Amino acid sequence: MTPGDSFSTRSDGTGSVGAADHGAIRHDSVVVCQVRPIGPIDSRFGRGRAAVTEGRRDRGRQAMDTKWRWSRRSLARAMGAAAAAPFLFHGRAPHAQRTIEIVHWSWLAASDGEIWQQSIDAFNEAHKGKGVQIKMELVPEEQFVTKVLAAVVTGRAPDFGWGTAGLRAKLVKDGVIVPLDDVAKKVGLDLADFDPFALQQARYPKYGNVLAMVPMDLMSLQPLVNLAHLKEAGLDPTKFPEDGAGLLELAKATTKKEGGKVVRSGILMTGSGVHPTVTWGIVAAQMGFERASSDLKRAAVNPKAGIAAMEWVLDLFDKHQVATRDVTDRYKAFGTGQGTVFWTGPWTLNGYTQQKLDFAAFLFPKIGQKRVTYFEMGGLELYKQADAGRYEATMAAVKWLSDNSFLWTTVGRGASPRKSILARPDYKTAGHDWKVRGAFIEGMSFATEGEIPVQAGPDFTIYSGGNFLAKTLEQVWAGKSKPEEAMARIGEHWQKALDAG
Amino acid sequence: MRAAGSGWQAEDGGRRDWTGWLFVAFFTLPFLLFNLAPLLFGVVLAFTEWGIIGDPVWVGTANFEQALADPWVANAFWNTFLYACTIVPGVVVLGLAFALFVHQRWPLSTLARTLFFTPNVVSATVIGLVWVWLLDTQFGLVNRYLAFLGIGPIPWLTSGDWSLIGVSIASIWWDLGLAFVLFLAALQDEPQELHEAAAIDGAGRIRRFLHVTLPHLRPTISMVVTLQIIASMRIFSQVYVMTNGAPHGSSQSVIHYIYQTAIVQYRLGYASAVSVLLFLAILVVTLLQRLLLRERAGG
Repeated sequence: MTPGDSFSTRSDGTGSVGAADHGAIRHDSVVVCQVRPIGPIDSRFGRGRAAVTEGRRDRGRQAMDTKWRWSRRSLARAMGAAAAAPFLFHGRAPHAQRTIEIVHWSWLAASDGEIWQQSIDAFNEAHKGKGVQIKMELVPEEQFVTKVLAAVVTGRAPDFGWGTAGLRAKLVKDGVIVPLDDVAKKVGLDLADFDPFALQQARYPKYGNVLAMVPMDLMSLQPLVNLAHLKEAGLDPTKFPEDGAGLLELAKATTKKEGGKVVRSGILMTGSGVHPTVTWGIVAAQMGFERASSDLKRAAVNPKAGIAAMEWVLDLFDKHQVATRDVTDRYKAFGTGQGTVFWTGPWTLNGYTQQKLDFAAFLFPKIGQKRVTYFEMGGLELYKQADAGRYEATMAAVKWLSDNSFLWTTVGRGASPRKSILARPDYKTAGHDWKVRGAFIEGMSFATEGEIPVQAGPDFTIYSGGNFLAKTLEQVWAGKSKPEEAMARIGEHWQKALDAG
Repeated sequence: MRAAGSGWQAEDGGRRDWTGWLFVAFFTLPFLLFNLAPLLFGVVLAFTEWGIIGDPVWVGTANFEQALADPWVANAFWNTFLYACTIVPGVVVLGLAFALFVHQRWPLSTLARTLFFTPNVVSATVIGLVWVWLLDTQFGLVNRYLAFLGIGPIPWLTSGDWSLIGVSIASIWWDLGLAFVLFLAALQDEPQELHEAAAIDGAGRIRRFLHVTLPHLRPTISMVVTLQIIASMRIFSQVYVMTNGAPHGSSQSVIHYIYQTAIVQYRLGYASAVSVLLFLAILVVTLLQRLLLRERAGG
C-alpha cells in the first residue's frame, strides 16, 4: 500500500485495497480510512493498527458531525413534541370506571370554611367508589361573581357554589343560575321540609320567582360579649341589655381610655368598612327606615330615620366615646380583647371557641321602635353548564349535603332551614355550646333585614364595605359629609336602581 | 459562516430551517397572546359597556367622560401621585444612604448588606401583612417605640390623614433593596483617583460627596427614579392587603380602583377606560422624564 490508497475492512475481518472498495460508509461494519504516513508504530500491527486508529478517529468525527446535526433538529422536534404531548393525551383516560367530578366553588374562608371542608370530605368519603366526587376550589368572595360569570361565558363554569340569597338577581335574570324547581323534584329533594320563609328568600319574584338556591343556613347578626370584661366591670355575665340605653350604659362601664383616647371599646367598631355600615343598617331599620318599599318601587323610605341612625353611630365615637375608629381588623380585635361587644354572625363561633375566648352571644337589643337585626341566608346554587346532563348529578350531591347538614348548622355556621334537622332532640346540645349558639337560633325570629332582590341588590346590601352605600357612609364616619347630604345621595342612587329594574 | 448541514441554504433550494423561528416563537407567541392582544382588547373595551354576560355595547366616549367626572377616579389618581411623591424620594435617599454605609466597609457592613436587600426578595403581600401588625394603632411595634419618645399612638392605617403614609412606609421598606444594590454597584465603580485628587485639593468628605460622588451616581439615580415612579404608579398589593383603599378611599390607588371596578363590580368597560387613562398618565410622565434627561445630557 502506498499513501493515498484506501483500505477497507469488512465485519468478517477480510479486507481489500483499492478504490473499488470505497462504497458508502456504514458505521457497523465498514470502515473506510485513508492510509497516511505516520510515525513509528508497533511493528506487530503496523499500518493496520494505525489505520484502525485513524478509522476510529474518522468514525468519531462522523459520529460527532452526525450528532451535532441531529441534536439541533431533534432538539427542536423534541421540544415541539413535549409541548404538544399534554394536548395529544388530554382526555384519553384508560377505560376504567369514570368518576364524575363535580366542581364546587366556595368563598368560605373564615373558621366556617374548615367545617364546610369537612362536609365535602364526608360526601367524598360516602361516595368513594360510587362514581362521583366533589372537587372544591376556594375563590375570594369579592371576586366570586366575576369569576363565575367569566367561567360561564367560557363554558367552564363550576357545577355549584355558595350564594347569598337576594344578591343574585342579575345572575338569575341572565340565566347564569339554573332554576332548581324541576331538578329538585327529579332527585327527590323534599322542599316541604324547608322553612317557608327560607324558600321565599331563595326566589326572585321579579324574575320568574324560580327557586335559585337550596337554602343551607340562616344567619343573623347578634352581639358577642366578652364575659371577662363584664366580670371586671362588676356586671352580671348572664344578662345583657334589651334596649339602646342599657347597651350604652354597659358600653361606658367596660370602655377603657388612655389619655382621652379609647384603647378598649365598649362597643367594637371600625372607622370604615362593613361594620359601621351594617350597624347603621340595623339601627336604621329599627328606627323605621326602609331601604326599599315592599313593592320595590320607592327607595329610602323614611329618610329621617336613616339620618338618625347615622347620628347614633357617630355618637358612639364622638359623644359617648365607647368606640374608636382605630381598629384595623374587627375579628382580631375582639379575639384579642380590644372590645367588649361585637355584633357579628355565627361564622365566627368556631374560631373564637377554638381559641377558648370567654364569650357568649346575646340577642340584639331594641335600639329603635322595633327589634330587628340583619338577616342573611346562605345556599347552594347551580350554574349554567354546556352539558345540561350534569345538573341531575350535581343536584343529587347538593341534596346529600343539605340532608346531611347537621354538622354545618351546629358547628359551622347558622341555623338550619330544615324542619327535620331543627326537630332533632340533639340539635340544641350538639355542636357549640348553646351559650354561644343559642342567640343565633332564637334571634332568627326578628332577623328580617335581608337583601333587596333586585339587579342592583349588591348596592343595597348593608353587609358590605365597598359598595355605594358603604363608600357614601364612610364619608360620614370620617366627618367629610353630613348625614343629610349622604342620605340624599343614597336615596337618589337607590331610586335610580329601582327604576332600572 | 454557516455550520455544515445547517440547512439555511439547502442544496435543493427548497428547505428551510425553522429552528430559529421556533426559538423566537417561545417569547413572541406568549407576548402576542397575553400582552399585546389583551392590551388592544382593553382599549376597545374602554369604549363599551360590558358585564361579561352578553356582548359589549358600544357607548363611545361615555366611559371616559364618566371617569373624568368621577370624584373617586380623581381621588385615586391624586393618591397615586402622592404615593410617587412619598415613595420615590424615600427609596432614593434611604437606598443611597444604606449603600454609602455598606460602601464604607464599617463594622457590620457585610451583615447590613444582607439585611438591607432581604425585604426585596419577599412578596408584597407578605410585606403588607407584616406591616399591618407593625403599624397597628394599639399594639403595633412602631407606636410602642414611638411611645418611648413621648409620641402618642398614630392611627397609621385607620385614619385618612395617615393611611397613605402607612402604606408608603411598607412600600419604601420593600423597594429599598433594589435601589440599595444599584447604588452600591455604582459606588464600587467610582474611580478613587478623583477622591484622592479632591482630597489633595482640600475638599472635605461632604464636598467630595457632593462634587465627586453624586455626579458619578447621576445615571443610577435617574434609573432608580424612573423605576420607582413606574412602580409607584402601579402600586396595588400593599394597598389591597393593608387598607383595601380605606378609610374612605384615602389610600386607594388607581390600580386598586380599577380592580374594584372590574373584578368586584364587573364593570369591565369602565375599568378599561380608567386603565387607558392610567396608561396615558404613565406615558406622559415617562416622556417628560426622558425630555428632562435629554436636556441635561445636552447641557
